[in-house]
Parts: sequence; structure tokens; C-alpha cells
Amino acid sequence: MSNITTCIKTLGRGICIITGASKGFGHTLAQQVCSLLESGSVLLLVARTGTLLQKLTEELQSSTSAQQLVVRCIEADLSTEEGVKETVRAAKQEDVKDVDHVLLINNAASLPSISHFSSFINPDEVNSYLFFNVTSALTLTAGILQAFPPRPGLRWTVVNISSAFALQALPSWVLYCTGKAAREMMFRVLAAEEPNVKVLSYSPGPMDTEMQEEICRLTGACYDLLPCQEPGAKLMKLLLDNNFISGSHIDFFDA
Amino acid sequence: MQRTWNSPLGQALCIITGASRGFGREAATQISRLVSPGSVLILVARSEDDLRTLQAELTESKAGKAGLVVRYVAADLGLMEGVESVVKASKEASSDNIEHLILINNAASLGDVSRFTREFTDMAEVNSYLSLNVSSSLCLTSSVLQAFPQRPRLQRTVVNISSLCALKPFPSWVLYCTGKAARDMMFKVLAEEEPTLRVLNYAPGPMDTHMQDEARVKTADLNVRKSFTRMAANGLLLSCEESCAKLMKLLRENTYESGAHIDVYDV
Repeated sequence: MSNITTCIKTLGRGICIITGASKGFGHTLAQQVCSLLESGSVLLLVARTGTLLQKLTEELQSSTSAQQLVVRCIEADLSTEEGVKETVRAAKQEDVKDVDHVLLINNAASLPSISHFSSFINPDEVNSYLFFNVTSALTLTAGILQAFPPRPGLRWTVVNISSAFALQALPSWVLYCTGKAAREMMFRVLAAEEPNVKVLSYSPGPMDTEMQEEICRLTGACYDLLPCQEPGAKLMKLLLDNNFISGSHIDFFDA
Repeated sequence: MQRTWNSPLGQALCIITGASRGFGREAATQISRLVSPGSVLILVARSEDDLRTLQAELTESKAGKAGLVVRYVAADLGLMEGVESVVKASKEASSDNIEHLILINNAASLGDVSRFTREFTDMAEVNSYLSLNVSSSLCLTSSVLQAFPQRPRLQRTVVNISSLCALKPFPSWVLYCTGKAARDMMFKVLAEEEPTLRVLNYAPGPMDTHMQDEARVKTADLNVRKSFTRMAANGLLLSCEESCAKLMKLLRENTYESGAHIDVYDV
């Protein structure tokens, strides 16, 4: 039998930032990414709810202590300028020696009012939704790009947690579709501009999260739900293989 | 609808935003020639002076003299009061004879094209852009549809002035592309929800307007800037008149699929 050299792919020695990390898909991604980051990496978990975040941070820190990963939580409201700036500040402060990968996962999102188009007459309501789901992803991404300027030799990955409804219109879901479509284009522009950054819009499918529970409760549309680990694992594989074309949209259900 | 060969859009109430100049102004002018006497045009923009000038012109025009009613509303559509003032003016000017409601969401801004995505760290700037270019068109459209609900013998048409940028990313144009992509989706959802509505995402092409001038001068991406400069130099920019004529053709023929994105070069 010949010698087989196994090449174990990792996400490198990185600084990884995950927003909306306290529960649902973000929580799962935090757990999965940990085992793929090399010693000396830093994982920054961002969310609004401090207590849940703290719990996750402690859990991950103890399970990865052997790996010498640093796991930090940042309690920040990303719908505010202060929240975004605080996150960028915290990231900048991490002195990751010889970092070879910056990985930003824009996962934080909110569920809007699910109702007919013509019910949205109040600009404040629409703005509030778009500011959190679109503006904060843009300004946070820009802030992190400035904190860790892309250059040849540094692996830089931005993930946009998207949806099938970024591409397909769904009645009664105007705000959600509009926000996701906006993000999709935003990240495509980024991909077109930055040759040293790989951008992926990833649609994870319907998962067993609180958000999906809320959808089921509000609309009666209750799907067969995926456990978060499955779409999470596919995303990890995409990141490890790193073969995707920057700016593309990949769905969990794609072959 | 009583469409006749010379009033193919019938007795209409037309609301046009960003009507003070450029494509919006042209749309007001061309639509005034396609609606029957007794129709109403509501011109909306921020600049009162320009609106007043246009109102005077249209009132003096052939259509105006034949009975076209032209009103204007100077309003900031980013505010609820602004949206309400447009709806109020529309309701006041309307009548039971109106058989066609046409809303043209044209008001837009370019955003700062002199910077790349990584430079957009100012939340207030991005919020302000989305508020004007996305939220206001959603809220105005919703308010108008609520004020003029579906009824027999009323056709309701909603136009979104879109762009190639709704479909294709342009380096250094993150705000504009994001806003246009958002709007296209928004109006596609509307089309899906309301099968009795006629919804059109119309991309007018590169036109010879103030917005184009700004694009040519300010665009940070060299390739994008060069291609605009070349278009201008080679006479490839469309006049508002040419592009608007195509939109009018689409509205007259009324055979487009509701929710579709149609580009000037498709017509």
C-alpha cells in the first residue's frame, strides 16, 4: 500500500467574526468554525443579548482551550453606529500574530412584519428594518475591511447569510425579500471591486431556529426544518474547499 | 377603460416623483399627451420652483388647454408627512371618472460613486440613501394603493424606474446598485401579491441627464468611468425623450408581464 498523505484543510490562523452568534444559525456556525481554526486564532462573537453570548463563549473557550483559540464575545446592537464601531474596535484590538485569514460572517438578521405590501405606509418601520438588515452589514463589512486591509497573501472571506428569497419574490414578505435582495447586490458589488476578497452569499434553507418558529407561528407556514448543523456543515465545506466564485449565491439545496 | 387612439391611457390620475427634471420631467410631458381631457397629473419633487415651472408649461400646452389638470407637491418623500401630502393632493384632484391610476416611482439619487464599498462606514449616509431610494418608494406606493383601492373600471399601474444596476454590480456604485436591486425585488413582490395591479420595472438606459454627468465625473472605478465617457463621446447616450417614448409604448400596449424588468433596449 502506498503512502497516502492526508491533507487536512483548515480555515487557517484567522480572525473570525460572526454576527448574530448568540442563537440559531450563528450559534451553530460558531461551534463549527472553532474546530476548523488553527491555534492562535481569534473568534469574535457578536450579538445583542449578552447573557446567551457569554454562555456560548464560555462553552467554546473551554472546549477549545487545548487548541489555544481565543473566543471573545461582543455585546453590540448592530443597528446603531456605536454597536458597529464597537465591534470594529474590538476586532482591531486583537493582536493576531501572523494572521492568514480574515473571515467575516454576516449572519445577524431580523424578521420583519409579515404582511401585505400596502400595509407599509410608515417610513420609520421600513427604515428600521432596512437599517439593521442592510446598512449594518455594509458598514460593519467596510469597517472590518479597513481594520484588516486586504492584500495578496492574506486570505479574506466575507459571507453573507442570504436566502432563496433574495432571488425569488414571496407574497407578504416584501421587507424580508427587499433586504435580502439588497444585501445580495451589495456583496456582489464588493466582490467586483476587491480582487483579494472572496465573497459568498449563502442561503442555508429553512432551519430549526427561533426565527423559523416565529414564522410558523405568524404565518402558519411550517416547513420541514433542517437542523442548523447541516447547512452549517455545507458552509464549512464551501469555505474549506474555497472553490466558489467570488460574488456567487449558493443555496444549501444546490448540488 | 375608454382608451381611444389619441388617449390610449384613458382618463387617468398620474403621479410622477422626481418630476422636476430629467426623466421624470420628460415622463410628465409625454404622459400628458396620452391621457384624455379631464385627467390629472400630480408632479412630485423637492424643488418647488422647478415644479411650478413645469406645471405652467403643461397647463399652457395643448393637453393643458384641452382640460388636463396639473398639480404639484413639493415634498420630502422620506417623511410620512411628505407621503401624506402627495396622497392628499391626489385624492383632492381625483374624481369618480378616473379609470386609470398611474404611479411612476422615478425619484432617485446616485449616491456617492467616488468611493468603494470598503469606504462606506458612515451609517447615517447609507441610511439616508436607503430611506430616499428604497423606503420612500415603498411607503408612497403603499399609501397611494390604499387611497385608491381596487375597484371595477379602475386600472392601477405602478412603474418603478429601475436600471441595469438592479441586475448587474458596478464597481464603486454600491449604494445605487443596492437601492435598485432592492426596488426591483420590492415591486416583484407587489406584482406577486396583487394580480390585478400592473407593475413594471423599467430600466431607461444611460441617458443624457444631470445624474449621468455626475456619474461620468465622479465614478471612482476607472473602467466604469471610461465606459461612460466613451458613451457620451460617441453619442451613445439616450435622450430622456427617446427612452421615455419606449416607456410610453410599454404603457400604451400594456402587454408586459406584471413584475417584469424591461430594459429600454428590449423594447
